[in-house]
Amino acid sequence: MKREHPSGAGTKTGTHRRMKQETVLRTSGLGKRFGARWAARDINLEVHRGDVFCFLGPNGAGKSTTIRMILTLLLPTTGSIEIFGKDLHAERSDVLSRVCGIVEKPDFYLYLTAYKNLEIFGSLTRRISSDEIMEALDIVGLKSRAFDKVKTFSHGMKQRLGIAQALLTTPEMIILDEPTAGLDPQGMKEVRELITMLSQEKGMTVFLSTHLLSEVELVATRMAVINHGEMIAQGSVAELLEQEQAEYSLRVSPLKTAVKLMNGLSWVVLRPDEKGATRVRIDSGRASELIRFLVMHDIEVFSFYPHRTLEDFFLKITEGISEI
Amino acid sequence: MNLFQIEVYKTFSRWRTYIAFGFLALIVILTEVVMKLSAREILERMMRSMQKDFLIFGNVLNGWFITAFIMNSLHLHIPFLITLVAGDIVSSEATSGTVRLLLVRPPSRSAVITAKYLATLFYTAAVVIFLGIMCIMLGLILFGSGDLIMNYATQFRIVFIPETEIPLRMFLAFTAAIWSMAVVASIAFLFSTLAENSIGPIIGTMAVVIVFFVIGNFPFDFFRALTPYLFTTHMNIWQRFLDTPIPWRQIMVSAAILALHCIVLFAIALIVYRRKDIKS
Repeated sequence: MKREHPSGAGTKTGTHRRMKQETVLRTSGLGKRFGARWAARDINLEVHRGDVFCFLGPNGAGKSTTIRMILTLLLPTTGSIEIFGKDLHAERSDVLSRVCGIVEKPDFYLYLTAYKNLEIFGSLTRRISSDEIMEALDIVGLKSRAFDKVKTFSHGMKQRLGIAQALLTTPEMIILDEPTAGLDPQGMKEVRELITMLSQEKGMTVFLSTHLLSEVELVATRMAVINHGEMIAQGSVAELLEQEQAEYSLRVSPLKTAVKLMNGLSWVVLRPDEKGATRVRIDSGRASELIRFLVMHDIEVFSFYPHRTLEDFFLKITEGISEI
Repeated sequence: MNLFQIEVYKTFSRWRTYIAFGFLALIVILTEVVMKLSAREILERMMRSMQKDFLIFGNVLNGWFITAFIMNSLHLHIPFLITLVAGDIVSSEATSGTVRLLLVRPPSRSAVITAKYLATLFYTAAVVIFLGIMCIMLGLILFGSGDLIMNYATQFRIVFIPETEIPLRMFLAFTAAIWSMAVVASIAFLFSTLAENSIGPIIGTMAVVIVFFVIGNFPFDFFRALTPYLFTTHMNIWQRFLDTPIPWRQIMVSAAILALHCIVLFAIALIVYRRKDIKS
């Protein structure tokens, strides 16, 4: 069952605020059924030019199914997909020449070299020069391994080669399905840096799916949340979180007086913390108001920081859907 | 590189592609060397029946005869070698996951599958041509040249083809052999579009070839009615070019039936692949 985000920061509000922005990807009523089971249903995404758009959901939520439909690997059961204002299925070739997609892990021809793989996949879009291939490999740090067979590469190196392949065709939009899945922390960091680079330096729109909340916090500008095949929220990360209640850790002195004062505030929910601090749950927009209130009552505030706000947000809305 | 060049490059970059060439080279060399060592015995056996009715002299056991002999022995085994690549060319992309990169690029699925099919036919032709060149070259080196005697024992007749006609006849025979192997390749190719591993298409194709051969040889009226339309009935089309006079009408009918098989099999593969959900 689909739910509008209660804050209004979701689909409608977010869309109105960005009416002037160019929509590069729009799905309308997109759905895929396998037998009697709907893997994705009524997906209405809107990705704007320049976004780093995260498609967030737990494993099995329908993220990969949606991405596969956007990349024409799966035929939709319902709905339509528009990319750059063109119908994907009517103008597939033109649209996909401006998009690069990596679904799950990028699998290359293991018996060929990195160079040859890039030459093959690059030439499916346009004529590629040797210099362009070497430059792309250089950007992802694989220039020295250009003529090694891909079967000798680690998972992280293959992921970087996938991004090199994306760079090579200079797409306007890059679609990545769980790009950091299976990588070690260093590999995850490298891929995140590459994603940021694609967006900020190359001006590409990035659409990526993930089940990692930390990834959204680190790279996303806008996001959509999917669970059990249905989209439950969409908007900018800031907007979505802004309207949510969040939990903060608070270190103040004297603690007892502060707790007594805060107990008198109807919009603050207190939770004790065994480490001499306390946790408060408030609307994100009222954080500064609380600090001001405490300072005005001669409470010293040593620290005040949010606790995994996105995780709270995600768990709250997915639990909400489960209850419905 | 265009799609066809890419597919050919990929095909010939894998060692499994060379299994067929290696196997054929080995079998041809072994056969011809053994025949060379046992030439007198083979010749005596050949002549035993024919010398009752004919006076035969000259170099009968020559390179052309050896080529026809090997082709006759191998044309039922080559299909297995063809399926090693034809049964793998589409399904291996699913197994390795490369299909997810390949099909999200601008070329349509129709273009991709057509390029793969053409690459499969190219490989099929390469295998048959390789066999032909190996047989003829080594045969001529070891046994020399001469007129070709074909013994059609079941029809109680023998055919003499003058040495001057043989190169053209052999060229046509090997071209026809490519034609018949293309059907086997098409079956394996269709199975390859349906499967996500390579073993299924290989076993499936061989099962179809064997079952069709069996059906074609069953002495029942129902199966006899089917026999003229089975591709296995026409797989020996190449032999007709080593007959005199060349039975052009039979050849045209066989070629048309084989071509129809190829067209239908590829059309099904195309429809299946265009609508296939890539879940791997």
